Amino acid sequence: MVRLENVSVIRRDLDGREAVILDEISFAARQGEITAIVGPSGGGKSTLIRMINRLEDPSCGKISLGGDDIAGIDPLELRRRVGMVLQKPFMLDSTVLHNLQQPFRYRQAPLPAAESEEVRRSLELARLASDLLLRDARTLSGGEQQRVSLARALIGGPQVLLLDEPTSALDRPTADRLAATLKDICRAQRLTVILVTHDLRLAGRIADHLLYLEKGRVLEEGMREDFLARPRTVELRRFLSEPEDGEG
Amino acid sequence: MENQKLVTLEMIDLALAYGLILLAVGLARLQRIGEEKQMLWASVRMVLQLIAVGYLLHLVFAVRSPVPVLLMLLAMMGFSLQVMGARVRHRMPRFYRVVGTSMFIGCGGVTFFFCSLVIGYAPWFDPRYLIPLAGMIIGNSMNGASLAAERLSSEIRERREEIETAICLGATSRQAAETAVRTAFRAALIPTMNTMAATGIVSLPGMMTGQILSGTEPILAVRYQIAIMCAITGAVAITSFLILLQGYRHYFTSAHQLKESGGSRFF
Repeated sequence: MVRLENVSVIRRDLDGREAVILDEISFAARQGEITAIVGPSGGGKSTLIRMINRLEDPSCGKISLGGDDIAGIDPLELRRRVGMVLQKPFMLDSTVLHNLQQPFRYRQAPLPAAESEEVRRSLELARLASDLLLRDARTLSGGEQQRVSLARALIGGPQVLLLDEPTSALDRPTADRLAATLKDICRAQRLTVILVTHDLRLAGRIADHLLYLEKGRVLEEGMREDFLARPRTVELRRFLSEPEDGEG
Repeated sequence: MENQKLVTLEMIDLALAYGLILLAVGLARLQRIGEEKQMLWASVRMVLQLIAVGYLLHLVFAVRSPVPVLLMLLAMMGFSLQVMGARVRHRMPRFYRVVGTSMFIGCGGVTFFFCSLVIGYAPWFDPRYLIPLAGMIIGNSMNGASLAAERLSSEIRERREEIETAICLGATSRQAAETAVRTAFRAALIPTMNTMAATGIVSLPGMMTGQILSGTEPILAVRYQIAIMCAITGAVAITSFLILLQGYRHYFTSAHQLKESGGSRFF
């Protein structure tokens, strides 16, 4: 479980003025569930998710993973326990196998071979064909690259998976297939999945638990059916009624 | 060769040479590049700086003490830092500290090694050797250092996604910045490698030309030139290496977070 307690981020601009990026955020993301953070662009969604694997640090508040304050966990160890898939998948200039081996290379561990259980399992979870292993990762399609990115985040067996707008660069059918994969992974691996998206369709399809974030504040939180069918705040009602912009 | 008298330059000769600068300014004006005033000002600055340094050297040579020699070397290094600080568009964090210490160790170490072990003159502070040799080492290292610092900054900015992906996969800041550092080091060494490859064929180096003009045997001038090229290459490599080794760390926090992405902007 990932728990945030009164987490705030205050940033100072070049003129020295303070801006509140995140304001007293508290929520819990449970194991085996997908928690989606939705809301308009610029609301602080990406900053929020980036704090969970310490790509950024909060100004105040506490984030815990399985009961342990992440500030007390070695950041390299934390990132092994918390996998992350970024919006744009960055592929190393080499084969898919080389990309999957990269986390092991960083921690100077023995590299898993193409036939190894780790590689086979991560390919299976991300629904990637094994014949892609020796292909140049940069020549793959956007959808395939995002799946390689997913397999690479999963190969070390994380407890938590963070997804920052994972489908925003994909066309609709590809995004739908990836969404189905994500749901299956969460269930099969009993992972705590935290997804940031402004794509309500994606969030509505796969999330169990949703939060609406606007201007750095959680304005509404709930389980999927209630959240989507019975919004309580004007802001969420307005967000739900806005036409989708075609992304995702 | 030793019977030949050294041709001295009179003011009228310098005035003739300066005519070439006026010609260059005229061409710039013809092309309307809008830099004529700067060109003129740069040429005036060059003349004034060289006259000033000429008198200063005259004085330092006369005093025969290590203190003014070392002070002059420190001033040269400080001036080179100031020039770099003004030239580099995207300064790395703690630019002056990183570049200053790297230049001090790289140039100072190589100059000491070169003057005491390779040339081996006495006394060790003899300004006739120490100042021009250190000047060449500092001047060339300045170019390498600027390239290393600027390239590291641009590489880290452009490779932000790659670096953050690596961090997410468990890389240390050193591992995440490895490609940026390697590319910057290569960029810093290229001009020196090009100069080495072209020396003697495309151009005759300044020091060698100066020695030949002042009556030194060409073979001895060549030996000096080979030695100083080796020293310059070593100094550029050491200075750039130290800049990159220290410099990349300032882009990251101790938690292996890329500062530009937020690590240093929060409080």
